[in-house]
Amino acid sequence: MGVMDFLMQGFQTAIQPQNLFFAFIGVLIGTAVGVLPGIGPMSGVALLIPVTATFTSGMDPSAAATSSIILLAGVYYGAMYGGSTTSILLNTPGESSSVVTTLDGYQMARQGRAGAALSIAAIGSFFAGIVSIIGLVLLADPLSEMALKFGPAEYFSLMLLGLAAVSGLAGGSITKAWMMTVTGLLIATIGIDAVSGVARFTYDIPVLFGGLEFLTVAVGLFALGEVFKTILHKEEDAEKVAKVGRVLPSRADLKESAGPIARGSFLGFFIGVLPGAGATLASFFSYIAEKKISKNPEKFGKGAIAGVAAPESANNAASGGAMIPLLTLGIPGSGTTAILMGALIMYNVQPGPLLFSDHPDVAWGLIASMFIGNLMLLILNMPLVKVFAKIIETPAKYLLPIIIAISVFGVYAVQVTTFDLFLLIGFGLAGYLLAQNDYPIAPLVLGLVLGPMIENNMRRALTTSNGDFMVFVQQPISAFFLVCAVLWILIPFVLRLKGKNVVVNVEG
Amino acid sequence: MGLGEVFLLLLFSNKEGSTLQTGKFDRYASILFALLGAAFLIESRNISKSAYGSEVGPNVFPFLLGLILILLSVKLFLESFKNIQKEKKNTESLQIKRFIIILTASLLYAGFIETLGYILSTFLFLYVSFQAMERGSWIKNGIIALAFSFFVYFLFVVVLEGSLPGMPIWFS
Repeated sequence: MGVMDFLMQGFQTAIQPQNLFFAFIGVLIGTAVGVLPGIGPMSGVALLIPVTATFTSGMDPSAAATSSIILLAGVYYGAMYGGSTTSILLNTPGESSSVVTTLDGYQMARQGRAGAALSIAAIGSFFAGIVSIIGLVLLADPLSEMALKFGPAEYFSLMLLGLAAVSGLAGGSITKAWMMTVTGLLIATIGIDAVSGVARFTYDIPVLFGGLEFLTVAVGLFALGEVFKTILHKEEDAEKVAKVGRVLPSRADLKESAGPIARGSFLGFFIGVLPGAGATLASFFSYIAEKKISKNPEKFGKGAIAGVAAPESANNAASGGAMIPLLTLGIPGSGTTAILMGALIMYNVQPGPLLFSDHPDVAWGLIASMFIGNLMLLILNMPLVKVFAKIIETPAKYLLPIIIAISVFGVYAVQVTTFDLFLLIGFGLAGYLLAQNDYPIAPLVLGLVLGPMIENNMRRALTTSNGDFMVFVQQPISAFFLVCAVLWILIPFVLRLKGKNVVVNVEG
Repeated sequence: MGLGEVFLLLLFSNKEGSTLQTGKFDRYASILFALLGAAFLIESRNISKSAYGSEVGPNVFPFLLGLILILLSVKLFLESFKNIQKEKKNTESLQIKRFIIILTASLLYAGFIETLGYILSTFLFLYVSFQAMERGSWIKNGIIALAFSFFVYFLFVVVLEGSLPGMPIWFS
C-alpha cells in the first residue's frame, strides 16, 4: 500500500464523529491556551492528558489512543495559532514562540491594522501547518523504514543524542540542563525494573511499585509550577487591549506576505525536525532571515506585515516538524513532544518506527486529523478572533485556583490515590523553584519519558556484547549518533570559550 | 548578520532566565542534588546484581546516573561562586500571604478529598482560594466555586460514569 492509501485510511479514522469532535475541542482549547499568557503549550497539554484519559475511558485502547492524541496534538498546534493574538493586541506574547511577533504585530495594532495582522498570522499558520503535514507524510515512511533497521545500540545512542540536543539548547546553564536530565533519568528508575522484575528504590511502599507516574510529575512541574509563579508574583497592570478592527487583509497585505509565509514555513519545518530546536528558535530565525532579504529592512519593527507573517508561519511549521522525530523514531525533540509521547505510552502505544506498522490507525489518523484541525483553526481564528481576544480578560483570580482544581481532579481521576496528589503539589513547588532559578524543566520530563527505554536498550546492547561498552562505538550508525551528541555539547562550549553568547532558550 | 545576532536577540527577548543571577540558590541546590545522587548511588548497591535476562544487572544504570549527578553538582557548586558577586537584590515583592493560603488549602484539599467527598472539598478549596486571590463578593465567588464543583462531578460521574468520592462519609 502506498502513502496515499494510508493517508486515505487516516482520513477515514479522522472523520469519525468522535474524532472530529476531539480535534475540534483540541484546537479550541489550544487556541485558548495560546491566548492566555501564563499557560504555555506544555502545561496545556500536560493538564489535558488526564481529562482526555477520562473522556476516552470507555473506548477500546487503540481508538482511545487515537482520539486522545488527536486532541492533545490539536492543543499543541492550536496554541501556535493563539499565541499570536496577545502578541499583536497586547504586546504580551501568549507563549515564547510568539515573542518576535510582538515586534511588528503590536506596531500594526497601534496603527489600527490589528485585524490584518491577526488574519495574516492565521493564514500563515494554516499554510505552514499544511506544509509541515505534507513533509510529515513524505518523510514518515522512509524514516521509519530506516529506523526499523536500528538495533538496541543504535537506539541507545540516538536517544542520547536526543537528550544532548534538548539539554544543550535549554536555558542558560548547560550544567543545570544536564542535572535536570540526569534527575529525570534517575526518577524513572524508581519502581519495578522492566527487564529483571526487581523492585528498585521502592522500600516496600505499594504506591512506589509502579514508579512515579509521568502524568503527575508533568502536570505538577509545568501546570502547577506556572500557577504558583503567577500567584506569588504580582501580575502587571492589565494593558489596554487594542481594537481588532477590519479582519480581512487587503490585497496588498496578502501580496506582501506571500513570500515570507512560504519561506517561514519551510525554514520552520526544517528547524522543527531537528531535535532540541523548537518553535521559538524557528520564529526568531525566520524573522531575521526576512529582515535580511527584505528590500526595506528599516520597516521592520515599525509594523511590517512580513514581520508577523514569517515568524507565525515558522512556529506553526516547526510544531508540525517536531512531530516527525516523535512519530517515526520515537525520540521527542522537545518538552511538548515528550509530553505527547508520555501520553501515547500511557495508552500502551509506543511511538517509533513500529507505530506505522503496529498502529497505522493512530499514526495516520493523527496526520489526517492535523489537516482537518488546521482547517478548523483557520475558520475559528478568522471570524472568531474577536471572541478569542475576550479570553485575555479572564480574571486571574478565578483562573489560577481553577487550574489547581483541574490538576487535582485530573490526577485523582486517573491515579485514585491521595499520594499522587501530594506528589503533584510537591512537584509543583519544585517546578516553581527550579524554573525561577533558571533550571530548565523540559529536559527532566524528557529524561523521565526516555529513561526506561534508554536503560532497556543499553542493557540489551550490552547483553549481546557480553558487557563490553565498546559496542556503542563499534556499530557505525551508533558511533555516528554518539559523535553528533558529543559535537552538540562541545560546539556551544567552544563558542563560549571564544567569547560568543550562545544562550538559547527554547520553549521545549 | 550572523549567528551571533540571533543568539543576542534570543538573549534579550528572554525576559527572565538566562540573565538571572542565581548563585546562592545554586549552591544549596547543588548540595541537594549531590545528596540525591549519593542516595541513589548508595541505595543502588542494595539492589540485586543478578542479571537474569541481561548481562547488566538492574543496579548499574542508577549507579552510573547517581555518579554523574554528583559530578554535575560539584561542577555547579564551583560555578555558583562565579555568579555570587553579581547577585542583585530581588526588589520584586512576592505575594507570600496569598501563596501560603492557597498552598495550605491545596494540601488540605489533597488530604481531605476522600473523607469530605469531591464536591464539598472542591467547593471549599475554590472558595478559600478565590478569596485569597482577591477579596470579593462572597456570593459570586461561592456560586462560581459551587458551579465548578457540581459541573465536574456531574460530567465525570453521571455522564462519563467515572468514579470520584461522593458525599462525606458521615453523610451517606
